[in-house]
Formats: sequence, C-alpha cells, structure tokens
Amino acid sequence: MLDSVLTIIPVLFPVLTGAGLLTFRFKERKTLYFWVAGIVVLNALAALLMIFTHGAEPFVLFSFTDTLAFVFRVDSLSAFFGTMVSILWVLTTFYAFEYMKHEGHEQRFFAFFIMAFGVVLGLAFAGNMFTLYVFYEFLTLSTIPLVMHAMDGKARHAGKTYIIYMMAGASLAFIGFIFICLYGGNELFTLGGTLDPMLVKGNEELLRFVFLLTFLGFGVKAALFPFSHWLPAASVAPTPVTALLHAVAVVKSGIFAMIRLTYFSFGTELISGSWEQSFLLILAMVTILYGSIMALRTPHIKRRFAYSTISNLSYIIFGILLCTPQGMSAALLHLIYHALIKITLFFAAGAILYKTHKEYIYEIGGLARKMPIVFGCMAVASFGLIGVPPFAGFFSKWALATAAVDSGNPLAYVGVMVLILSALLTALYCISLLVKAYFPPKGEQADGHDPNWLMCAPLIILSAATIVVALYPQPLLQAINLIAGIS
Amino acid sequence: MEVLCLTALFLPVLTGFITGCLKQDKLRNSVVLISLLMQVLVVLMLIMHPVSEFELLRFTDSIALVFGVDVISMIFLLLISVLWLMAAIYSFEYMKHEDHRPRYYLFYMLTLAALMGLSMAKNLVTMYLCYEMMTLLSVPLVLHTQSKEAISAGLKYLGYSVFGAGLGLLGIFFINHFAATLAFVPGGSLIPELAVGNENLLYTVYLLMMIGFGCKAGMFPLHAWLPAAHPIAPSPASALLSGVITKGGVLAIIRVTYFVFGASFLQGSFAQTICLGLAIFTIFMGSMLAYKEKVLKKRLAYSTVSQVSYVLFALFLMTPLGLIGAILQIIYHALAKNMLFLSAGSIIYKTGLKRVDEYKGLGKQMPFVMIIFTIASLSLIGIPPLGGFVSKWYIAQGAFSNPLGLLGIAVLMISALLTAGYTLPIIIDAFFPGSAFNYKKLKKKDVNILMGLPLGILAVILIVCGLFPKPIMDSLTLLLSALF
Amino acid sequence: MSINWIHNFPFFSIFLAMLGGILTALLNDGKKALRLNQLITLIVAILSLCLLLNVTANNESFTFMMGHFPAPWGNELRAGPLEALMAFVFSILMFLTVTGGQREIFSDVVSDKVKYFFIMINLIFGSILALIYTNDVFTAYVFIEINTIASCAVVMAKGHGRSIIASIHYLIMSSLGSGLFLIGLCLLYDITGHLLMPNIQEQLILLSRSGEYALPLTVVCGLVFIGLAIKSALFPFHTMLPNAYDNSTSAGAGILSGLVLKSYIILILKFIFQVFSLEVIQALKIENVLFVFGIVGMIMGSIYAFREVRIKKMLAYSSVAQIGYIFMGFGIGNMAGFTASCFHILAHAATKTLLFVSAGSLIETNGGKTGIRDLQGAGRLNPFAGVAYSVGALSMVGIPLFAGFASKYYFALSAAGGKLQLSIVLTALAVSMILNAIYFIPTVISIWSKPEGEIKPKAEPTFSFKCVCVAFMMINFILGIFFQPIIAVIEQGLRLLG
Repeated sequence: MLDSVLTIIPVLFPVLTGAGLLTFRFKERKTLYFWVAGIVVLNALAALLMIFTHGAEPFVLFSFTDTLAFVFRVDSLSAFFGTMVSILWVLTTFYAFEYMKHEGHEQRFFAFFIMAFGVVLGLAFAGNMFTLYVFYEFLTLSTIPLVMHAMDGKARHAGKTYIIYMMAGASLAFIGFIFICLYGGNELFTLGGTLDPMLVKGNEELLRFVFLLTFLGFGVKAALFPFSHWLPAASVAPTPVTALLHAVAVVKSGIFAMIRLTYFSFGTELISGSWEQSFLLILAMVTILYGSIMALRTPHIKRRFAYSTISNLSYIIFGILLCTPQGMSAALLHLIYHALIKITLFFAAGAILYKTHKEYIYEIGGLARKMPIVFGCMAVASFGLIGVPPFAGFFSKWALATAAVDSGNPLAYVGVMVLILSALLTALYCISLLVKAYFPPKGEQADGHDPNWLMCAPLIILSAATIVVALYPQPLLQAINLIAGIS
Repeated sequence: MEVLCLTALFLPVLTGFITGCLKQDKLRNSVVLISLLMQVLVVLMLIMHPVSEFELLRFTDSIALVFGVDVISMIFLLLISVLWLMAAIYSFEYMKHEDHRPRYYLFYMLTLAALMGLSMAKNLVTMYLCYEMMTLLSVPLVLHTQSKEAISAGLKYLGYSVFGAGLGLLGIFFINHFAATLAFVPGGSLIPELAVGNENLLYTVYLLMMIGFGCKAGMFPLHAWLPAAHPIAPSPASALLSGVITKGGVLAIIRVTYFVFGASFLQGSFAQTICLGLAIFTIFMGSMLAYKEKVLKKRLAYSTVSQVSYVLFALFLMTPLGLIGAILQIIYHALAKNMLFLSAGSIIYKTGLKRVDEYKGLGKQMPFVMIIFTIASLSLIGIPPLGGFVSKWYIAQGAFSNPLGLLGIAVLMISALLTAGYTLPIIIDAFFPGSAFNYKKLKKKDVNILMGLPLGILAVILIVCGLFPKPIMDSLTLLLSALF
Repeated sequence: MSINWIHNFPFFSIFLAMLGGILTALLNDGKKALRLNQLITLIVAILSLCLLLNVTANNESFTFMMGHFPAPWGNELRAGPLEALMAFVFSILMFLTVTGGQREIFSDVVSDKVKYFFIMINLIFGSILALIYTNDVFTAYVFIEINTIASCAVVMAKGHGRSIIASIHYLIMSSLGSGLFLIGLCLLYDITGHLLMPNIQEQLILLSRSGEYALPLTVVCGLVFIGLAIKSALFPFHTMLPNAYDNSTSAGAGILSGLVLKSYIILILKFIFQVFSLEVIQALKIENVLFVFGIVGMIMGSIYAFREVRIKKMLAYSSVAQIGYIFMGFGIGNMAGFTASCFHILAHAATKTLLFVSAGSLIETNGGKTGIRDLQGAGRLNPFAGVAYSVGALSMVGIPLFAGFASKYYFALSAAGGKLQLSIVLTALAVSMILNAIYFIPTVISIWSKPEGEIKPKAEPTFSFKCVCVAFMMINFILGIFFQPIIAVIEQGLRLLG
C-alpha cells in the first residue's frame, strides 16, 4: 500500500514545484538552472524508481463519487511510457538550458516545462479512463504557455489554434469517457477491455461509433488528419518544446490514450472487423501520406520535421488499429524509436537555429562541414527515420508491416503499400536536406559552428541511443511483447 | 573460413575510412590499390573455401544478418572485385580533374562493401540491407560534381531506388508471412499450405517485387532515373553504376525468383507473363532511345537499360538455359559496359568531346581507346566469337519453350540491329572519317598507362571469357539441378 | 417542538434582507451601507448553513406559516435541503460579489446614489431568498416584481445614457415576463381556486386525470413557463441581457446574471415539482419544449458570445448559453437531469459571479476599457484577477477539477436513458465545450499576453479583493472536486420537494 501511495510523488512533485517556480523569483540564471536541473533529475529518478520497484497495485488518490475516482497504477504500459518520458525529459532539460538563453523568460518556461513533466507522468500512471482524461486536459493547459512562449502575434495565433484543436479533441474524448462510464464503469484498465459484456450486448453499433469519435478525439493530439494542422503551426514554440512535447510527450500522450482506449477499455474484439476500424485505418493511411508529402513540400526545417511527425504518428496509429497484439507491439516499438529519432532531429534543427538563425533548407548549403556533430547526429537520425536497416526505424517498420500482413486484413495490405510509399517520401525529404548540407551546389557555404556541450551532449547521447536500440532490439522487443500480451 | 567473409565485407569499409582521411593523392591511391588487390585475393580464397553460412549479427528472432557463399555469389564476388580494381586504377588518372577526391574514394570503397554484402547475403533481410546501403552509398558518387544537374540526378536516383527497394521490402513483408524462412532456399521457400488460395496475392507481390528490384536494373516502368544518373557521375563511377550496380538489382531478382518463390511456383503465372512483357518492352525501348541519343554517355546509359533487360528477360523465362544465358550476359555486359564507359571517359578526359557527332577521326587520335571501344561494342551487339554472342545464344535457346519467348527472340534480333546502329557509326566515324577529313590538325592524345591498363585487361578478360564460357557453365550445373 | 426555532430561519432571512433595505435608507454614507449589506448577507449565510445542516440531518422539509395563520389567509414558506443549499450558496456569492466589486461601485455609481444602490441590492437579495423559499404563487409574483424593479435600478446605477436605455430595455422585457406570469397565475387561480402550491397541485392532478380544463391548463402552463423563461433569459428571450450587463457595474452584472436569473429558474423548478407535478408536465410535453430550447440556447448563446468583442457582453451571452444547459437538464425529464441542473445553477452562479468580478477588476486595471483587445496584459498587472478569471474560464469550458466539469459530467450521465437523447445531449455538450473554448480561451490569452508598450496599472487591487478572488476560486474547486456531497443534498432536496 505504501508502495502505491508513492506512485503519485513523481506526478505531484513537479506540478507543485513548477507552480512554486512561477511565484518565486530567482535573481541568478545559475541558481535557477541548478534548481530546475535538481527537480527534473530527482523527479526522473523518482519516476524510474517507482516504475522499477512498483507492484501493480492501484492507488486511489481521491474518490469524487462512488464510480468516479482518481486512480493511479503503474502497469507495464505505464512503465514503458513513463521510462521513456523521464529519460527524454532530463536530456531535453539540459539542452534547453543552453537553448533558452536566446528566448528569454526562462523561469516561466521552466516552471511550465516542469509542470508538464508531472502531467505526462500522471497520464502515464493513470489507472482508469477518468484519470487519463483529466491529465489529458491538463496536458493541454500546461503546454499552452510553452507554445505561446514568445507571446508575439505569431505565437499567440499558434496558441489559439493549438488550444481550439485540443479542446475539440477533448470534447470528443469526453463523449467516449461518458460511454465508458456508462457501459463499463470506470474500471481499472485491463488488457482486453473493461466494458461489461452484458451491457454491451445489443449496443455494439453505438459503442463502435462512440469508439470512432473518441479515437478521433485522441487523434487530435496525435495529429491524425484532418486534425493535424496545429502541429506544424505550433512549431513556432522554442525548440525544446517542439522536440519534446510535439514530437514526444504531447503527441505520444494522444497515442498512449489511443492504446488505452483501444486495447484496455473498449477491447479489440469489439472493434476488429468493423467499418469504424476500416475508416480509421484509411484515415491513418491518408495521414501518413499527407504528412510525408507536406514535409517534402515544406522548406522550413522545423515545420518539415513537424509534418514528418504527423506522418510517423500515423504509422503508430496504423499499428494500433490493426487490433492485434502484434499490431500493438509494433506500435509501441515505433513509438519509442520515433521518439528518439524525432527528438534528435529537432535538437539538431534547434542547434542550427540557435547558432546560425537559419530556419530554411535553402539557407544551410554546406553547413555540415561547419557543424559536423550536429549534422552527423541528424544524418544518423534521418536514416533511422527512413528505415534503412540497420538503423532504428527499420525494425519498427518491419514489425508494423509484418503485423499488418499477419492480420490478414486486406486494408492492412494497402497499408503496407502506404508505408513503403511514405518511406520513399521520407527518404526524399530527409536526404534532400542532408544533401544540401553535405553536398551543396558549388560556391554555397553557410557559416556556423557546433554548439557547446550542453546542446551537443543530448544530441550525441540520443543518436547513440538510436543506434543501440537498433542493433540490440531484442530486449526492448521482449518487453514490448510482454506488454502487448504476446508470450 | 568466416574470417574471409568478414574481411571481404569490412576491408573496404576500413580502407574507405582511411582513404577518406588521407590528403596526399599518391598515398591514397596506393592504399586503394593495395586494398583492392587484397580484395580480389580474398575473394579468390573465398571461392576456394566457401562459407556456407555465417551469422554476423542477430537483431531479433526473425531478423538476422547472415552471409554465405554459393555459386551465384562467387560469380558476382569475382566480377565485382575485379571490375572495382580496374575502375580504381583508371580513376587514379581520371579523377585528377575532379575535386573532393578523398570523399570519392571513401564512398567508392563503401559501395564495394555494400556490394560484397549483397553478393553474399544469405537471407532477404540481409539482402535488403545491403541493397539499401548500396543505393545510399552510391548517391555521393552520382552527385559528385555537385552541379545542379548532378544533385537533382542524385536525388532522382535516390528516389527511384528507395521506392524500388521499398517495393521489394513490401514483398519481404508478405514473404515473411507465407514462407517458412527468410533465408534463400534453392527452389523456393513458400509454405505450400499457406500459398494455396493466395496464389493471386503472391503473384501480385512477386510482380511488385520484380518491378521494385527491376528499378535498379533499369527495367520499365522505373527506368527513368538511369539515363539521368549514370552519365552525370565521373566516368569510372558511371562504369560501375552501369556495369555493376545495375546487376545488384538483377541479383536480387535472381534470389527472389529462384530462391524464394521458386521457378515451379511462378512458371506460367500472369506475373511471369507481365514480367516478360516488361523486359521485352524495355529491351526494345532502351535500344530505340540509345539509337536516338546523341550524347555518348547517355547513349551508353540507354544501352544499359536495354542490355540489362536481356538478363531480366532470360531470368523471367525460368528455364535452365535461360538462367545460364542470363548469368553469362551479366558477366559479358558488365565487362563490355565498363569498357565502353571507361573509353568514353578517356575521350572526355583527353578531348572534352561528349557528343557522338564530334568523334570524326578519333581513331587516329586515340587508337588504343577506340580499339577497346570497338571490341566492347562488338560484344554488345553479339558478334561471335565475342562473349555477347554466347549469352544471347543461350537466352534464345531458353526462350523457345515459352510463347512470349518467341516474341522476345524477335525483339532480341531487332535490338541487336539497333545496337549495331548506335555503336558502329561511332566506330566508323572514328576510324574512317571520310576522304574530306583533314588529318593534319589532329594530335596524338592516347591515354597513359594508368588508364590504358585497365582497359586492356578488361578487353582480354572479355575475349577470354567469350572464347571459353565452359567453366562458368559447368560451375552452374549443380545449382541448376537444385533450382529446377 | 424543540427545533421549531430553526424553522423561523427562512423567514428571518427574508425579513433581514428587506429590513436591511429599509435601514440603508436611513444611513447617510455609502460605506456604511456596504458594511450593512455585508453584515446581512453573512448573517443570512450562517442562518442558511444552520438550516441546511439541520434539514439534511433530519432529512425533512417543512412549511412555515407566517404568523401561524393557516391557508388560505396565511402566507407560507417552505424549506428543505435544496432551498437551504441555494440560499446558503447564493448569500455567500452575494457577499463575495459585493465585496469584490465594491471599488467599482463607489467609483462608477453616481456618488450620492451609492446608498440607493445598496438598497436595491438588499431588495434583490431579499426577493431572491423569497423566491427560493416561498410556497405561495402570489407571493412569488410579488417578489418577482420587486426583483424586477430593483434589478432595473441596479442596471441604471451608473447613470449615463446607455445604462438608462439598457435598463428600459430590461424593464420592458422583464415586465412582459411578469405580465405573462401574472396572467398565468390568474387563470390558475380561476381553475383551481388556490394560491398555495400544494393545494394547487392537488387540484391540478385531479383535473389532469379527469381531463377537464385541458386547454386552459395548457395555456396556463404555457404562460407561466414563457413568463419565467423570459425572466430567466432563455434563448430567444435573452436580448435584454448584453446591454444591461455591459452598462452596469461588474458586481451588479454578476449578481444579475449569477443570482437573479437563477432565482427565476428555481421558481420554475418549484412550479414543476410543487405546482404542476412531473405527471402533468410530462403529459403536456413541456419537458420536450424545454429540452429543445435549452439545446438551441446552449449553442446560440455561445455563437453570439463568440462574435462579441466586449468582455462583459461576451459574458452575458455566455450566461445565455449556460441557462440553456440548465433548461436542457430540466428537459431531460428524469431526476438525474433535475439534479444536474440544480448543480449547474450553483456551478454557474459561482463561476459567473467570479468572472464578472474579476473581469471588472481587470477592466479597472487597464483603465476602464471593456473591449477584449483592450485587456491585453491586464492579467500581468493584476495577477489575482487574472488567475481568477482564468479559473472561471476553464470552469466554463469544463476542464476537470473545476466546477463546470462536474455539472457537464452529470448532464451527460443523466441522459443515459434513451440513445437519441444521449446522443443529442452529448453532441450538444461537446459542441458547446468547443465553442466555450473558442471564445473564452482567447480572452485568457489576451489578458496574459504582453501589453503593447509599458502600461502602468490604473488601479492596484485591494487586499479584500485578493481575498475575494481566493475565496471564489476555492468555491469553484470545492464544487469541482467535492461534488458528491452537494449532489447528495440536491438529490435529497428534490426527493423531498416532489
């Protein structure tokens, strides 16, 4: 019992300290950094400790009513997501120390940044749909100030777009949440679904439709087409935000919620083979292609990566929608690979922006020669994203496609084709950038140099990590298969 | 001898990185030369002591890097390493007028490693990995000059190749489901129980894979990159791209057709028919385009489109004789096309002339180069006793059993005529420019030993192989019995 | 009876409020008038709390005969958990609103009229309490009229031209409502011969079962409900609100929208349960009408609010939408729906007063301009008001842990009966949530964004204002987190009511 009480510490601690940072003023930048680093590292350690020493016991923080309660529980999926988030958060924090110097208002930034950490962990540790929904909403709130950090016209506009999309998604998710309450109670997440079969009987059609709506609702955060516009718009935010939140934390929270919804609440049995599944599959495929094509057409580096995120998120969504354990396992694999890769790419883009103030591809001709570390890491990550073996993305693509073929769904076969097409587009939009930097047309030579170790170290660690997880995917794969229920 | 296997794979990688760091041309050239000589040696030793299976790295239960050497690998290994050596020697001189030499040799060596891996790949994943590597590592060779056209050609090359490889990968996903193993099994590895009822799906998948891998081999409909990318590279690189790397696609097609799906499964299917049709069409189209093209290197690139599709046509026949013809054509075309590109490179290097209508009297200026050019052309056309004749003979024999094959034979004939049409006029112009031609203004400009030697050696090999194809055919008999 | 003295509390409360109005007239100083008003509201709050605890503990409701005269001569009050809860919450909100908005009252109301303003506030308070407690339809009418006139005076308090026009508009619409209501009452009296609610109900049930007077009964129903709907500004009878709120003081607007409108809705609730009875209502299909108007109001109110550029008008339209929620809850027609509506009465009252008070303070900070655009940066200069406004806005949107979420949750659950109803309610809630977000969030962003140029706050928030903000936010969180006991009280109250 004591064990499970502790699970909320990594959730509450950052939220409280973040709020504290908002009110307390530091005079020196160094002291601020010291405290921020302390809080983030401590919290990450606490989270990891909880994750690796937990019993999967639920902890009820507070019961609103008899059926509505704040429940936390660290199951294997939470552990997976929580670990990923904690590690990446620490790295991003160090990167942000250097990066945020040129953005200003660091204290406000780090306050909300820390709060968001707690909220994401809360989302990961949520034990039932209500808790998940609450943190889902809070994630939106805690990240708005980060998106609008610059507070100029462009940032405000992006913030408005962001919040309106998010609220629309949340309102759809709310519908799903109510139905889950009505048809299954607000039970603890269990693999296979929590709906009461007695109540479901005769209402399958309705419930499937609700599933569709809810999925779309979570799809807003996961940038499912046509709700994906906010993501490229939000790339006005400081790079650590775009890197961590809009490639990992926020969007993957949408994905995480989708997994919870599909596999742990509604259950795949209900959805498998329905027209809703087909519809969503098609939507995911459209998103994959849309994201890739838009990425190819976008010369702004950060926005290009944002579109790439849209496309890659739908790889994961595609995996989820296969409604098979293999599909879920593939989705989780791509989730973690994409997180590592995309955060590296954004860090690299941020480093370029920070050092040279160049944002467009046509400005970076020959820059690779001047910034070898940044571009080296970017190249490694790019190859991973394309899915060139033996880089990371290949294995997740492999898992996704084989799961699709194994599922026997004809639409999934089409999906495999879409994956291939998207890989082509990915290759084009990644490599054209690299070619520009490494093999510029004669006479072009942009100026710049590598940033200091605070920015380089996270980049190098992350790109090394993408290589390691690619060369030794077996342990990771085993863990993921365990989560997905494949023995 | 697993060490040999490893050496064959990683020696080029190692020397590649070393050469990439070396600033002095002489030192670098000698490192490259020594390493490539050692490479040939290692390959020869590997042929003597073949390794049947060698697992380099296991990623997951289903995905592992496995290498091994069978007869097909041997042929490819030897061909590739020899051609690479020759082109390297040629490059020492040729690359003097290009920048970024360390980078050129770096990727030159790395591409070799990828090709070594491709030849020795023992399962589909390994093959795919090496295939992608081959593409990516050869892109810098294509866009070496970094001119606008080179960069766009490089990206075009990349796009087509990645898409082609992607189609191949698509097939691999399906094979993973329908086949017992991802490893290559002579005669095919499909599980009959699973395949029953899904034939049409599998045929479609096969067709897509062929189109995908056919991209590298310049087969219609994914051929458009080839005339853009091959000529734009430095000539030794064009030679290798056209003579060797196209064969990477062919190798993949051999593996998929004979070692995964199996000839017996595919024989008579609609996929076979369509593939044959595509190959025949490509042969014709390539020759026609080459005939109309005026820039020499582009003409040669189109010629590659046509000639490699001879190989594909032969492979898709799925008969023993066809396969023999295909293997022979691979060897002869690789040699001949290398010679042609290298000669074309020499002409450009020495005179700067790029268009075929400027070559009047060249035979007097550069007699050695033009003789090499003539030998290669004659082989390409298929005039006995040169190699090209032997391979075409077997292809034609293999084609008789197939109704579409007869059409193919007819097209082969037409294509031979067209080949003659696009090579012979150059030779005639060069040696017999006509009585009105003024010889006085010409100066002797023939190539030096560094460029001449590889050309000579290649010519000798081509002639010898043409005269004595028997050993190659004999080595294949054991394999043929396993495949059919 | 030993607890008899507690039964006097409702009467004391009303009496105190009315007395306060009279006493204020004798005072010569606005400050003193304010203190008196604060004192009275606090006392009433305490009395109501005692009453609430008592009736919930005993699970009883009682009627109180004024002067112990039995009907038909006497006048009755009735109190149960629901009434006591409403009275308690409303008096606290009244106290906070007046305290929080005091500076604007003193600065904007014509200086020698401040005293009269407080008289009106006291009268409004008294009439709200009366409407909550009354058991007599005619008493209800009387207090409706008192309420109307006092409200008009509050609207007019700033004394400039626009406010006079607004108050005339308000007066006309309100009078129309009371007029219709009065006609309805007359007919009702004709049909039944009673003025006390329980007596009328007895007769009506008999009539409806016998089938006599079917048409007049329908007409009565229509007149009463339309009359009260106009008074409570249900869409499309909302036209008087925006100008009235925009031109009155923030505290006045808060009271009018948060409390006064709600008192009419409570009256509707009493009519449904105690006069017409659910049986008659269902027979006449009134609930379906309310449902449709409620939903339309939810959406249309938000759309109007979305198009508005002045913050107080926007809040007014938002009230229209929120009133729609409440009517939709009535229209769902089951006990859960009524419970949700009652909860929303509280939630919206608490949130809207908070919004008006904080918006008023933000406007003061930025120098009195009421456009949303003019508020840029106000939150940075006046963080207490800014945070309070943000909390209110989030509650309106329906973010969990805020009051608005709890009512949304109960609305959704209450509709679980029929699939069609459920889908309509959920869709309406979802759309409304998006619309709320669309118009509230930009204002929040605006108040927190960087002001153009350096702006000095025009007025520093006072200590009492800060306390009020904190109290308001606490109420919001209490409603949003500990809603189960409140819901339990409401359920108990509704059970005892009908």
